[in-house]
Amino acid sequence: MARDPKHDILFQPLKIGPKVLRNRFYQVPHCIGAGSDRPGFQAAHRSLKAEGGWAGINTEYCSIHPESDDTHRLSARIWDAGDVRNLRAMTDHIHKYGALAGVELWYGSSHAPNMESRATPRGPSQYASEFETLTYCKEMDLDDIAMVQQYYVDAALRSRDAGFDIVYVYGAHSYLPLQFLSPYYNKRRDGYGGSLENRARFWVETLEKVRKAVGHDCAIATRFAVDTLYGQSGVEAERDGVKFAAMADPLVDLWDIDVGDIAEWGEDAGPSRFYLQGHQVPWTRIIKQVVKKPVLGVGRFTDPEKMTEIVTKGFADIIGAARPSISDPWLPKKIEEGRYDDIRVCIGCNVCISRWEIGGPPMICTQNATAGEEYRRGWHPEKFPKKTSDDSILVVGAGPAGSESARVLMERGYTVHLYDTAQKIGGHVNSIVTLPGLGEWGYHRDYRELQINKLVKKNRQSQVALGQKPMTAAAALAYGAEKIVIATGSAWNTDGTNCLTHDPIPGADASKADQLTPEQVLEGKKPIGKRVVILNADTYFMAPSLAEKLAVAGHDVTIVTGVHLANYMHFTLEYPNMMRRLHELHIKEIQNAFCSRIEAGRLEVYDIWGEGSKRSYRGPGVLPRDPNKTQRWLDFDSLLLVTGRHSNDALHRELKDSKAKWAENGVKDVYLIGDAEAPRLIADATFSGHRLAREIEEANAQFPKPYRREVAVWGVSHMPEGSTQVEYQT
Amino acid sequence: MKLLVAVKQVAALDEDFEIRADGRDVEADFLIRDVNEWDDYSLEEALKIKEAAASPVEVVAVSVGPEDADEALRKCLAKGADRAIRVWDEAIEGSDSIAIARVLAAVARKESPQMLFAGVQSSDHAFASTGVATAAFLDWPHAAVVANLTYTPGGDTAVFRRELEGGVLHEMQIECPAVLTIQLGINTPRYASLRSIKQAAAKPIEVLSLQDLGIAAPDVGESGSLSRVRRMYIPDKGRAEMIEGDVEEQAARLAQIIKDAIGGAA
Ligand SMILES: Cc1cc2nc3c(=O)[nH]c(=O)nc-3n(C[C@H](O)[C@H](O)[C@H](O)COP(=O)(O)O)c2cc1C
Repeated sequence: MARDPKHDILFQPLKIGPKVLRNRFYQVPHCIGAGSDRPGFQAAHRSLKAEGGWAGINTEYCSIHPESDDTHRLSARIWDAGDVRNLRAMTDHIHKYGALAGVELWYGSSHAPNMESRATPRGPSQYASEFETLTYCKEMDLDDIAMVQQYYVDAALRSRDAGFDIVYVYGAHSYLPLQFLSPYYNKRRDGYGGSLENRARFWVETLEKVRKAVGHDCAIATRFAVDTLYGQSGVEAERDGVKFAAMADPLVDLWDIDVGDIAEWGEDAGPSRFYLQGHQVPWTRIIKQVVKKPVLGVGRFTDPEKMTEIVTKGFADIIGAARPSISDPWLPKKIEEGRYDDIRVCIGCNVCISRWEIGGPPMICTQNATAGEEYRRGWHPEKFPKKTSDDSILVVGAGPAGSESARVLMERGYTVHLYDTAQKIGGHVNSIVTLPGLGEWGYHRDYRELQINKLVKKNRQSQVALGQKPMTAAAALAYGAEKIVIATGSAWNTDGTNCLTHDPIPGADASKADQLTPEQVLEGKKPIGKRVVILNADTYFMAPSLAEKLAVAGHDVTIVTGVHLANYMHFTLEYPNMMRRLHELHIKEIQNAFCSRIEAGRLEVYDIWGEGSKRSYRGPGVLPRDPNKTQRWLDFDSLLLVTGRHSNDALHRELKDSKAKWAENGVKDVYLIGDAEAPRLIADATFSGHRLAREIEEANAQFPKPYRREVAVWGVSHMPEGSTQVEYQT
Repeated sequence: MKLLVAVKQVAALDEDFEIRADGRDVEADFLIRDVNEWDDYSLEEALKIKEAAASPVEVVAVSVGPEDADEALRKCLAKGADRAIRVWDEAIEGSDSIAIARVLAAVARKESPQMLFAGVQSSDHAFASTGVATAAFLDWPHAAVVANLTYTPGGDTAVFRRELEGGVLHEMQIECPAVLTIQLGINTPRYASLRSIKQAAAKPIEVLSLQDLGIAAPDVGESGSLSRVRRMYIPDKGRAEMIEGDVEEQAARLAQIIKDAIGGAA
């Protein structure tokens, strides 16, 4: 199908300084866990997007000097010739596909804790970072300012040598240039503080110097958070924002506009739970009105209609995307070819971001299981190796893992039967989407459902059998498949088993009328009383989501939590607004508390730090601490058990037990994937299904093949002329 | 005891398609073939009767069509049909539903089943006439749009229900042999397992010619049809316009459109 001509505008080239963007699709800087230390990963991940049609593709934030070292988090670095060599792999690969490569030059000040370099960060004034609260910077004097500006210039020159087409001065997410601009950080009284002109000076001068150094060869971009969203104590779009933009406009070739700061950068990378596509447009358009240079905006743009509107209405010239480009690296190509329903739409869960927040494991994506696996496993999201046998495959369970496995197996040409008791593909995603704010997570199911329905039309032997009786081991064996994949998911514990005690809680029993598992709440069949207590030992979204759902429905909700409630939502950036939401709904939280037993209408709660702090040997059968005496009763009408999950693995066990009958039934192997193997994130369940589908011919395909590692190599120096001898100062 | 189930390999349109040069059909390359959805239900109804029966019941699937109709028949075999018959002859090309019914009636005479099931209609041409026309050729009693059926194999009569307007149900009795056209939703069609799909691939499909059925070539094809397709075409798209602006601007634009539409009258 050809693309709709109304989207043609997205394919018009645009000049930025000395370079030309071939269209309006632009991957803004975002981390992947590659930096400059995993050049293969970096080159493959970014160039795949160049192949997928993006016009401009950036590194993640790229440190200009050891003084800006974000360890434990993983940034790129362009400190020396060794980094230049490694980043060159990225630019070369991007150029092969006709796209521009950009580098986001970054100096973090107090937000970068310098845990590797042990250098002292410098900043406009001395402050303790609100993000890295133990890190203070040194207030820059004029020598410091000149020196740090020279860091930018030197890094820009190295960037040009590394083959970058676009060089950024990064002033979003509250990094250095913005710290000078914002009175929240800048308390100076000299020529670099006070008036807007003074606060803008550092940034403007830095742009001038960088432009002078590389402006003939490279487009100069600046990333500007035009509103820090603190009102007058920070930068506001219609005050300092527009004035600074007008002032710096002659010095830039491209404005990359977003909002927010670093401590709450979920206001920029807005999770779908709180923000819709295009949520930053009200700010972006303000800047577009005052500048002459091209403007790009972000806001989880996945829909070509919305993108077209942004460009035609003049809110921005370029569609910037981070998450949509991770979820579907071929988004521009699919729009170009009119393959709209093949777009793998970002669900806005921010699990990609969680990995950076955790400190740099390779990025993962819930929708796109190949994200981060391009180089090390050689996985291309749109290309699949042809099947190598005529084995047919039965996949039992059409949740995230099963549907992904079936999809990839079908893409590979295998005959696949996907089997489920539910009437719809999607497994537990079908109920999760009914939780407040999680509707867009349903795109995960929708993508697979649609692709599988297309694929079964191509191979009539394949089939999706929904609404079926639960599969038994005997039926699975007799089914006629050479390979059987078990993807039967997991369930919440009905007996209170949890990560703290590893045992059931006495009295916990979700078959009772006043106790419920999350599934029972979502099913909506069991009545729920006015006073709800949620007993929580899970650190992701289930407890706060259920609390929100029930509080909105008029229940009084108290969460008793033995773990840091919603801790993983710090990493997905959902935490701040989730907490605001719990607060505005008057949901009570009893922290550091768990439950020793449950009776009708009441649970016994204890403080988890209630035992004695002194440890001493007291003989066998006696705890080495003074006993915990903090137990007290808490009443409820309904108790929700969000204590832990377990795999639904009975079918797999039975099949393993009947291994002796495999051969006579023509069964060659049986596999276990997703939550049925071990409960996990949707992203990881999806990955496990995808992984098996790609490796199913392996002798022991249940277990992953080794992947290619990128590590420092003994005997090879990072610096081109360096040595690797063990040498001491003498 | 035998039940005969008529099935059709229907065509669905691919995303992009072109009309054939003679302007009377879609170019075959652009068609995606599949079993008519209604036929899944009629086969299931026959299989249910077979499975509930005390004495042996033979379910025979029949399709009139070229070789690609084997796919539909194999699907029936995989699900549990005992035999499959495909009737084809070049002369059948171009037949309308009446000519097809003539062929099906000949098969029914040959097989003499207690009952013949057909779908209410086929999803591609939607004439809803093949089943009833077959009954007419056979001079058998028939009922259309059956939504519920009670039949004990060997019985002389069957009881069935039909849905009427406003949720009213019609319960009727029919003498066998009879032709019933089966409505979607009458049952939940089963899926075939991989094993039965593989086994079905090895089963024979009986192929009958016009001669085998004693039908003369002129009685099928265009000459044996009562209707003829003059042309197939895509109608001009309706025009739609998104009216933008504030309420006043939108109202003004709307008024203008209405004025233009009613012409000089206003
Ligand atoms: C995994 C991830 C890492 C990011 N890392 C950076 C970064 O290094 N530098 C930066 O300026 N923005 C970073 N961002 C923010 C994005 O550039 C972008 O502003 C934000 O995600 C909103 O765009 P989106 O809605 O298209 O995702 C990151 C975003 C994601 C999803």
